[in-house]
Amino acid sequence: MKKILRSTIKLILFSILIPALSFSSETDISGIWRISLQDGARTLIGDLEIEEEVSGLTGYLEGGPVDIKIDGENSIEIIADSRDVRGFIFNRRMTGTFEGNYMTGTYQQEGAVAQKEEPGPWKAVRKSYSIKQSEQSNPFDISGTWAATQQLDFRKYTMSLTEKGKNWLESYMPYYDQPDVRCASIGLPALITYSFPFEIIESEERYTMLYEYQSKVRRIWMNKDKPSEYMPPSRMGFSKGKWEGSTLVIKTNMLEKTIRDFRGELISENATIEERYSLSEDGQTLNAIIIVHDEENYKKAPIRRTQWLRNKATEIFPYTCDPDSFYIPMYQENKMQMYIDRSELRF
Amino acid sequence: MRDHFQDRTVSMKKLNCIFFIVIQFSSFELMAHHSFTAEFSAERVIEIRGEIEEVWFKNPHVRYLLQVKDKKNNIEIWDLRGSPVVWLARKGWTKDRIKKGDEITVSGYPGHDGKKMLSIIEVKLSDGTILIDKAPK
Repeated sequence: MKKILRSTIKLILFSILIPALSFSSETDISGIWRISLQDGARTLIGDLEIEEEVSGLTGYLEGGPVDIKIDGENSIEIIADSRDVRGFIFNRRMTGTFEGNYMTGTYQQEGAVAQKEEPGPWKAVRKSYSIKQSEQSNPFDISGTWAATQQLDFRKYTMSLTEKGKNWLESYMPYYDQPDVRCASIGLPALITYSFPFEIIESEERYTMLYEYQSKVRRIWMNKDKPSEYMPPSRMGFSKGKWEGSTLVIKTNMLEKTIRDFRGELISENATIEERYSLSEDGQTLNAIIIVHDEENYKKAPIRRTQWLRNKATEIFPYTCDPDSFYIPMYQENKMQMYIDRSELRF
Repeated sequence: MRDHFQDRTVSMKKLNCIFFIVIQFSSFELMAHHSFTAEFSAERVIEIRGEIEEVWFKNPHVRYLLQVKDKKNNIEIWDLRGSPVVWLARKGWTKDRIKKGDEITVSGYPGHDGKKMLSIIEVKLSDGTILIDKAPK
């Protein structure tokens, strides 16, 4: 009798729990997803993080907030802002369906832009994590001149800011407060994401990176844990690299304040910039993920992705910068006093 | 690339070809390394015609001042903004391509609120040569 009772209870529990569990796995959309989107020949890739809160769903793409809505059983809509290659801001509206660990649908661009995108497909797959064993260093030859492509990067525009980060941004004046319009160094991370070519020179203890934009030089130290005594912080910082398997991981600190992007979000002196470089099998394509760790200003770490093609024909051109084109119009428009009054807000 | 810009009238077929090639090489970050939205509007593209008054062929942005006659024949000065020198130079658009006194027709994105500024997309020289800075896809 006991046996029958046990079996019956098991059967009841099984019939209740199993559907409940499978229902949960089908509808629970929270977690981290790898999202990709097709714009003609361009493939954009990013991390989509979805959190379920009492107030509803919250989404982040590459560390920046997105609007996310679920309708009915499995319809989804995600709206993410971006900046086109000319600097105009627009939205991508992604609509589709989700089931289990998979989302798929189509997207369209919204807003006035210079770089038009035709409606195209998108998909997302839930990211799975495995604990990685420490990989043996397996360096590749990344020396050479590299020309940027437009692949990979969603160019997410707004980021998820802390109160401090928001306060800073409210006081920021686009264009007038941007360092490089007056020929001051823009530094990391922006320099890495600009589409000017750069050259990598390899030597025994370091990689030297020569950037065309603003004629900047970086040294990535492979055997040095800290900079020489008295080395001042700078917008290029102190960079230490190591090969994790076949990925070159660079961590940069000792930074001076700068802005993350044209929007003007702050990068603090305490930030660490993480870059992860990997080379394609044929050695012709270099991909990088650039992650900003700066908890003072960002609730989620902003992520950018960049791709370059090896290009022997590309030469790094000299970049002579003359700030007159910034100062003279400002003087002519009677904005010089405003500029001087804002000196404390600039760096 | 420089050959494309030599002093001759270019046929439409060739122009299309140049247009295509230039797009291939120009569809990168280009001018957008400062806050473009703050200054220009993507809502429309306009075309103006006039005489070059001043040339600033320098980084961070190439700049031309253009004298344009309005409907009442008054002269207006337009501030034309282009990409960095390094980008234009790669396409054969060097300092001597556009000189003071040259008559040009230029199209681009206008400044906000009627500001007489233009972010250059394309310049047509008096001999018919077309120089492309950036072009919508």
